[in-house]
Amino acid sequence: MIEIKNVSKWYGSFQVLTKCSTSVKKGEVVVVCGPSGSGKSTLIKCVNALEPFQEGEVVIDGTSVGAAGTDLPRLRSKVGMVFQHFELFPHLSIIENLTLAQVKVLNRSAEAARDKGLALLERVGLTAHADKFPGQLSGGQQQRVAIARALAMDPMCMLFDEPTSALDPEMINEVLDVMVQLAQEGMTMMCVTHEMGFARKVAHRVIFMDKGEIVEDATKDDFFGKPRSERAVQFLSKILQH
Amino acid sequence: MHLEWGFFLRDIGDGETTYLSWLFSAWGWTLAVAGCAWVLALLLGSVVGTLRTMQVTWVARLANAWVELFRNIPLLVQIFLWYHVIPSLIPPLRDVPSFVLVVFGLGLFTSSRVAEQVRAGIQSLPHGQRHAGMALGLTTAQTYRYVLLPMAFRIVIPPLTSEAMNIIKNSSVAFAVSISELTLFAMQAQEETSRGVEVYLAVTTLYIITAMTINRLMALIEKRVRVPGYVGGDR
Ligand SMILES: Nc1ncnc2c1ncn2[C@@H]1O[C@H](COP(=O)(O)OP(=O)(O)OP(=O)(O)O)[C@@H](O)[C@H]1O
Ligand SMILES: [Mg+2]
Repeated sequence: MIEIKNVSKWYGSFQVLTKCSTSVKKGEVVVVCGPSGSGKSTLIKCVNALEPFQEGEVVIDGTSVGAAGTDLPRLRSKVGMVFQHFELFPHLSIIENLTLAQVKVLNRSAEAARDKGLALLERVGLTAHADKFPGQLSGGQQQRVAIARALAMDPMCMLFDEPTSALDPEMINEVLDVMVQLAQEGMTMMCVTHEMGFARKVAHRVIFMDKGEIVEDATKDDFFGKPRSERAVQFLSKILQH
Repeated sequence: MHLEWGFFLRDIGDGETTYLSWLFSAWGWTLAVAGCAWVLALLLGSVVGTLRTMQVTWVARLANAWVELFRNIPLLVQIFLWYHVIPSLIPPLRDVPSFVLVVFGLGLFTSSRVAEQVRAGIQSLPHGQRHAGMALGLTTAQTYRYVLLPMAFRIVIPPLTSEAMNIIKNSSVAFAVSISELTLFAMQAQEETSRGVEVYLAVTTLYIITAMTINRLMALIEKRVRVPGYVGGDR
């Protein structure tokens, strides 16, 4: 489904990604972790070309992301993305946040889009908030809306960039619950997160990044059982302390 | 000091116009120059300000050059350029009324200031907003239209209010190309009547009324488009 082959990226002369290669198969849940600044966000944004990269190739469902003729808006509409800071559109009501791209990108009718939006709001438990504005919701609620907004496009896979790290602790679980449910329904997911409980529960593989490199790419059991690199061991011991 | 207002009802010498009706027609010219120039400035300024935030570098550079050009030449000099220099370079422009030339001069000057505000407004939005729009499959144009600009314009209403008030004041440069607006009226009427204090009091009052009306109007707009629950600039 997602193939990342030897991707390298520089900001000026600073190399952010060094020959990163991995893949996510259909129905697979892959967790990406690593210290701050290791390039996790950059890598995941290369997948749907929100960040350009200079070398290597990313292929989604047979389409090369970096190729010249690729219809990027069309490709992106099939890849859901959830951000650390939610990024709901503040001037649109919750239901309008969910229908905007359905109407403008997928050309769905206003009613069809609204029905779909309401169904997804029900799924994330926020039906009562449909006509409120993002600024009137808590962080956890906003992030659940953001997930619903991505799902409204019927994506073939989902990308998450630290979806819970901007949340107060008591709101983390309401978001993780939605993600766990998605994973159990067979959604293909690539998640940057430090929630190791989530990884243990639903991940198939765990990728560990450091200084722009994929240091470890292992099955969940191998990663938690016998991490091979010194850096991964250190990292795990730090984040599993609390 | 003794104020004497009676002369306003006097004839200016053509047998039909009083100073009062001249005053109001001058106010009309001021509003017309400022209003037309504002429409032009808002349209051009929004486009140029938006282009300055594009990630295509040559487009952004071109838009930057526009702003630097029109912002850094004194307004009065720009008006004279439009009035004297450009028509002699482009002969067909010789027949264009000076009203139109002033509207262009003032409009383009103000467009550079509007562009600067619009750019700042767009860039004050969190980076992730653009990404969120693009990630949903919106094109760059759609992302601006539906995601970035609606918020950016809300944010820049206060600075745009002061630009709109500025354009009223700046429209007084139109006197330099003989448009019979408030400032020209003030100068001529005080010369003819020797009632400078009354003339300038009247003109000043009209300028103030205009500015305050704009202020109220923009405040009304700001209130109407306020986003429930939104607290700006917290990230
Ligand atoms: N626009 C940019 N220009 C220059 N350097 C950048 C830019 N964006 C990110 N970087 C650098 O690239 C590196 C990787 O950043 P990235 O955001 O991918 O890290 P991350 O692993 O997601 O970190 P975090 O856990 O803090 O989110 C960092 O060193 C960062 O400073
Ligand atoms: Mg990050």
